[in-house]
Amino acid sequence: MTDVLDHELPFPEPGTAADAAFVGIGEIPSGKFPDRTFMGALVEVSARAILDAGLAPRDIDTVLLIPCLHGGRDQADLIFSRLVEELGLNGRAKSSMMIHSGGSTSDSATRVAAGLVASGQARNVLIAQADKWGSAPVTEMVDMLSGFGIPREWEVPSGVTFNAVGGLITQRYMHATGSTAEEMASVCVALRQWARLNPNAMFKDKDLTIERVLTSKMISDPVHALECPMLADGAVALVMTSATSARRNHDSWVRIAGSGGTVSHYSLGQERDLAVMNWPRAGREAYEQAGWGPEDVDLAQVYDSYAAVLAQGLEGLGLAAEGEAARQFAAGRFSPGGELPANTNGGLLSAGHTGVGGGTALLAEGVRQLLWRAEPERQVEGATRAVIGGTGGTYMDSQVMLLERVTR
Amino acid sequence: MTAEPIMTDLTVDYYESLGRGQLVVQECGDCGALIMYPRYRCTECFSSNLGWRQVEGGGILHSFTIMRLGAPSGYEADLPYAVGIVKLDEGPQLLGRLWPGEDGTWDDYVCDARVTFKSAPAADVASRPAPWFERAKS
Ligand SMILES: [Zn+2]
Repeated sequence: MTDVLDHELPFPEPGTAADAAFVGIGEIPSGKFPDRTFMGALVEVSARAILDAGLAPRDIDTVLLIPCLHGGRDQADLIFSRLVEELGLNGRAKSSMMIHSGGSTSDSATRVAAGLVASGQARNVLIAQADKWGSAPVTEMVDMLSGFGIPREWEVPSGVTFNAVGGLITQRYMHATGSTAEEMASVCVALRQWARLNPNAMFKDKDLTIERVLTSKMISDPVHALECPMLADGAVALVMTSATSARRNHDSWVRIAGSGGTVSHYSLGQERDLAVMNWPRAGREAYEQAGWGPEDVDLAQVYDSYAAVLAQGLEGLGLAAEGEAARQFAAGRFSPGGELPANTNGGLLSAGHTGVGGGTALLAEGVRQLLWRAEPERQVEGATRAVIGGTGGTYMDSQVMLLERVTR
Repeated sequence: MTAEPIMTDLTVDYYESLGRGQLVVQECGDCGALIMYPRYRCTECFSSNLGWRQVEGGGILHSFTIMRLGAPSGYEADLPYAVGIVKLDEGPQLLGRLWPGEDGTWDDYVCDARVTFKSAPAADVASRPAPWFERAKS
């Protein structure tokens, strides 16, 4: 069989009209905000992103909606163009559509936006996300997370939940790498250190120690309560355009240097190696396209609903030696002041798991860092290259976006 | 939990075997591939000439977890309970439940340990068609 990587994929020349660029970000704090409305949050981050991009709402011709998980009616509002009307884009917007691949949706939306720009089908694309996951009824959400994305014919009868999925992956990762419970907990602690520097993070005011993690209740061995992501309300938006229009309005912007991806399974029970998933293949494709490698990376923003998910992502993307990511977290390599800052917004584990938005927040933080617009205490000085890694469902795919800063 | 219908055409034989205390996997009548989970077409050669093969039930435990809190509705009374992913000796792999040891714990289980299929009572399988595995006696 011919491997997809054997084919040369055409990729836009930097600086051309086909070269897509991130030019704006909007975000509001994540956490529990029962009084904050879904549509209010969505409009707020959209407005912020559009203004941040130096545009007016009427400049947006394409709206890509990232789904919400808290309720069907709001989801339907997204699908049926409510945001277009709320932003006064009626009669102007060319298309409004939802992109959905669960936790990797932000990567998928980036692919779609970049493709639309590259093929001349869109000029300015708004990518918008909001969720009320933190305020939704917990039992309903637990049932949803044990019924959606877990095959109802073959695995639901065993009583699997998403925390069980996290437990299965973590157990295998620890077995394969010899990582200790303390080393796994140190991943959560490092993310908390970053979250303490991010005013938008759910846990910006709460310190975390390895001891607190390991003395919290066991949920799904070997995953403790404080190693599970906390469901949160949150909203974030990004604006993409072409490099030629970015150059007209901005001194700096962020381009996609390369991308890669592999969809590995639907059922977790069909994944061949839970300690590795498909990061190595996805990373290889992306680095080949970009012409740079892991040694050139200034920061990483990789999906982290559980510590093992982040650790195996960093390893598969060449950002940590095989089997060493958790140990390197324990040694401070990925913490503030460390050699390779990772998930500088605090990630899903400490900024909050905003449903499909967790990955979007990681992406937005990567763009923000490359635009040098993070708060000074967490800005990675001189950052020019970032790795974004996303995965959805029961870690069904490994998606990679390599971003680089461009100046006029 | 979800009230939506399941793919009964694919599940009927599989569930019926589980109910009889047997574990079967799909077998392609054309290329001989063993397939799990059951599919509409062979994932190797696309044939729809698919039947069933009973497996020995032995395999390797790829990973497992013990659910202690936060069970889905209807499973609260089962807590704690364990699930694992088993790579069968015949090749296919699947997720199922794990029997506790004689001491009532799963302390004997470790990744890459040998496990064997050991069905739950028919009545349990009828309400929850899950395959059950136990730690193989060494
Ligand atoms: Zn076949």
